[in-house]
Amino acid sequence: MKRSYVPVALLLAVLFLNIIFTQYMVHQYFYEHYTNTIIAAVINVILFPIAFLIYKKGVNVND
Amino acid sequence: MMNDKNNKIPFNEDNYTHNINRNNERKLDRRGFMKTLVGAAGVFAISSLPWGAIAAKELTGLSDKKYPKHKITDVNSIAIGDAVDFAFPSEHDSAILIRLSESKYVAYQNACTHLRCPVFWEKAEGEMICPCHHGKFDVETGEPIAGPPRRPLPEIHVKVQNGAVYAVGVKRYEA
Repeated sequence: MKRSYVPVALLLAVLFLNIIFTQYMVHQYFYEHYTNTIIAAVINVILFPIAFLIYKKGVNVND
Repeated sequence: MMNDKNNKIPFNEDNYTHNINRNNERKLDRRGFMKTLVGAAGVFAISSLPWGAIAAKELTGLSDKKYPKHKITDVNSIAIGDAVDFAFPSEHDSAILIRLSESKYVAYQNACTHLRCPVFWEKAEGEMICPCHHGKFDVETGEPIAGPPRRPLPEIHVKVQNGAVYAVGVKRYEA
């Protein structure tokens, strides 16, 4: 049972990006730059399937 | 009838661990940790949706409000590069009209978006300046370009009719 911690690191990176884009989104909303708000929101939504794929790959291959 | 009842409550084993079947089952392992992370990403994604929706609503201009049109000044009495103060939409919302060229007028509510000091038109600099903390605004768009303010001035839509300038609406007016 050789474990790989690469998926864990990748997921942590995804979570970090989530935090960054969430704060960016909230700030851009306050500054009334609504296009940037939407871009950040879309990126945040796209990050979820990416995280799910990383999880799927990590579980199947290495456990 | 009493015999139907289970008289052995709690049943006869170690009641705190009866649902743990193998060692370290409750320990957060690598897989469980990754599941938590994916769940967190899902929470972030879901919580982003309302922000995107509200931002889209703002972009479509649904929150632009119309007000009865209000005469600001006559075209003849404002020279190119000059500004005139007025109040719109209510008498307590001070605003400023600036004539940039022969036919181009811009108007903003002139309460600074930092701490609501009045913003002035500095003709020599070509900028709108808030004297309180030296915030500066771009005259074409109302966007903040220097100093503490980070939000644009609320723009007032103007219309020129019969030799007079009228205010007809406000972008994002908050009373």
